[in-house]
Amino acid sequence: MSTSSSTLAAGRTVRHVKPLPKGNGSFERAAWVFMRFSGLALLFLALFHFVMQHIFIGTHNLVVTDTMRRWGVQGQAISIDQVAWRLYYLVTLLLAMLHGMNGVRQVAYDYIHARPIYTALMTVVAIVVGVVTVLGTLALLIGAAAVPGAA
Amino acid sequence: MLAPLVETVRESVRYKGKEGHWSWVLHRISGLGLVFFLVLHIFGMSMSAFNPPLHEAMLEVYKTPLFSLGELALAFSLVFHAINGTRIAILELRPELWNQQQKATRLSIIITLAISLPMIAVMAYKSITHFATHGF
Repeated sequence: MSTSSSTLAAGRTVRHVKPLPKGNGSFERAAWVFMRFSGLALLFLALFHFVMQHIFIGTHNLVVTDTMRRWGVQGQAISIDQVAWRLYYLVTLLLAMLHGMNGVRQVAYDYIHARPIYTALMTVVAIVVGVVTVLGTLALLIGAAAVPGAA
Repeated sequence: MLAPLVETVRESVRYKGKEGHWSWVLHRISGLGLVFFLVLHIFGMSMSAFNPPLHEAMLEVYKTPLFSLGELALAFSLVFHAINGTRIAILELRPELWNQQQKATRLSIIITLAISLPMIAVMAYKSITHFATHGF
């Protein structure tokens, strides 16, 4: 732990925190630029998605056949609008995951001062986000599975 | 391990930064909430390719009362994070406007409420009528 404590005259304990080693400057600059551009894109991509699913369709009306119709089904011919939906979801997915993971990194960097705990936490976050992102990307590449009995 | 968290919460409540301070806190909390839901949501959607019954089960989870409430928080979080993030991105590049930060922050909160409250009203209406006709 890079943390030590001292007591002020008033009896309040103040922690003196040594900052984590400085990150790579060019990486931090790229991350800053990425957060701006991905945020601007997600403002439209994510809000459109949310309004469409929650306001126009409605959560209580969600069914498996919607996914199959919009993505296309594995082993069947894919239409041009299904390609467009998949591209839209793929861009939104990748931008949102990277934007979110960098946000978690910034929050964790601010509050977790013990380097091993910070590294361990970010490793777990990166693995979870990475695995889910790969699953989502693969799903969008291959399409929905055929469900027997569903159109 | 918990001491920094307790200190963070205590000092966040103690610090009197008004709108700027609370929008900063809310930006972080809403962002963490959005990431949490995003991971859950993408896992559920990806299962339509690998495990359709699990995909369907996760769609059904979205229709429970707990998620119907969470949906309202999700709408506010998403809209606030988007609008407040836009304010941050614009003002960071315009130092001559930094004396207007408080006004800009209030404006972003007003825009957030103007967009998210109607959305929340529609979703709450849909959920209430759903649970009234189909039960819980």
